[in-house]
Amino acid sequence: MSSAYLYSILATATIFTLLALALNIITGYAGQAMMGIAAFFGIGAYTAAIITTNGGNFLLALLAGMLVSGIFGAVLGVISLRLQADFLAITTIGINFVMVALFNRLKITGGTLGLTIKKPVLFGVKMNNTYFFYMTVILIVVLCLLLGKMRRSWFGMALASINNDPGAARSFGINVSRYQILAFTIGTAVAGLAGGVYAHRMGFISSSDFAFVVSIQAVSMVVIGGLGTLRGPIFGALLITSLPEILRFADDYRELVYGLLLVLMVRFMPEGLIGDDSPVWSALMKLWRKFVPKKKTRADLIAESVEGGR
Amino acid sequence: MEELMRIEGLKMYFGGLKAIDGFDLVINKSETLGIIGPNGAGKTTLFNAICGVYTPTAGKVTFEGREVQGTPAHEMAKMGIARTFQISKPLSGLTIFDNVIAAAGVHEYTGIQSYFHKAHTPEIEDRAEAVIREVGLADVANKKASDVSLGYLRRLEIARALVTQPKLIMLDEPCAGLSNFAINEITELVMRLKEKGQSIVLIEHNLPITMKVCDRITVLSYGKKIAEGTPDEVKNNKQVIEAYLGEEDDG
Repeated sequence: MSSAYLYSILATATIFTLLALALNIITGYAGQAMMGIAAFFGIGAYTAAIITTNGGNFLLALLAGMLVSGIFGAVLGVISLRLQADFLAITTIGINFVMVALFNRLKITGGTLGLTIKKPVLFGVKMNNTYFFYMTVILIVVLCLLLGKMRRSWFGMALASINNDPGAARSFGINVSRYQILAFTIGTAVAGLAGGVYAHRMGFISSSDFAFVVSIQAVSMVVIGGLGTLRGPIFGALLITSLPEILRFADDYRELVYGLLLVLMVRFMPEGLIGDDSPVWSALMKLWRKFVPKKKTRADLIAESVEGGR
Repeated sequence: MEELMRIEGLKMYFGGLKAIDGFDLVINKSETLGIIGPNGAGKTTLFNAICGVYTPTAGKVTFEGREVQGTPAHEMAKMGIARTFQISKPLSGLTIFDNVIAAAGVHEYTGIQSYFHKAHTPEIEDRAEAVIREVGLADVANKKASDVSLGYLRRLEIARALVTQPKLIMLDEPCAGLSNFAINEITELVMRLKEKGQSIVLIEHNLPITMKVCDRITVLSYGKKIAEGTPDEVKNNKQVIEAYLGEEDDG
């Protein structure tokens, strides 16, 4: 395997990791059904591509892609307030199809011919797959740090509460609507960022790059890895993007394999392969605890204080 | 006695169904007020209409002199009105401790700024721990809420309400479905809160408990108040006996 080929796969894998992490903010943390993330991936991709093909700065184009996608996401967030789980899922699927149709018809997105994008130059270097890979890894690391901070903050506590029980969340002061809209805005903005990187790494985009099947791929990544964790979507994205390389012989049946995997996971392992309560992760943690004893949490200490006394 | 909440002409209609039909009530500070009534009388609907889960069809709710009817539930919680749910609503994926921490953040959920404030601060943890010990949840503090029994979930409801440091706590059947032993424990807990001067509204099906705990009782039947007074007054009220036991047959 040549290193150019390897970096081409890695660049794709990391971009989809970013997309899976974006979806995880909406579906994993806030618990909102989102089956149309590819639409926002596309909005970010076209926005950034249109800016750079008109001579705009690459990094500013990525930011703009994020912003525009996030604005569309906020609008979807407002719509989502009136919809319960299944209807929200159907609505987001609909939005995906509408956006693909628009990408296909609008003049500014190149219609059916798509858009050809020049490889950007960053800090005087023409970007190739290797650079795209490193750049995306940096973006993933930064995003994971920000998400880690989010989970420890009141913002993260609000999303976790809404995910578990919106009625309970309201009863202790959480404005559920506001946090739902924020989750949609942030998640779709990150999806837009991933789209901008994708467009420039590919050098050519057309509407089929953002089809419904791409949304399902992203859902598969998150669900197979483990909803609501950081490692889950990363693992899932790397697994799913490397599968086509491993399953070369089954290329015609790829979508069938994703679909089957998704059904099997949801039925038999809803927590994902390495989600918090999954057998694999529990076994790994048990092994880990043999070497590194668990640091006692405040909750453990409270529980122990009465167990001894009773 | 100082007035805390006043409800005037409250109506809650669902299409043609008049679940609450012109209800008046005054709740005083440091008072324990019971709301009783047969099944389907509208007790929980009344809670939901007061706490902002529903927007009342008509009527006025005044809390500390401010008109608050129709204010959304999360704003009510911030104003100091905490409620528990008859059907427990645990945050199943979180530990009991984190459930209480989540509720302790009642004033922290300010939107995007809440990203910059860490949830598990020592002050918040101390407050959560104190409440957990008070209601008797300490032995399951590190268990996931999905793994504990109904008795603990009922206490969790009360713990989450208490940790918001409410001016008024509204308990919706905290003893429903519990064993006699667990009922006694909850009753003692409510008595302790009452001694501390907490203002309490209690919906309860179990009449002996309501009689024991409450200073005053309001009886609701088909969305209307049919009696109000001290436990003894209510116990001997003819209409109340009829509502509970059916009308006496003259035949």
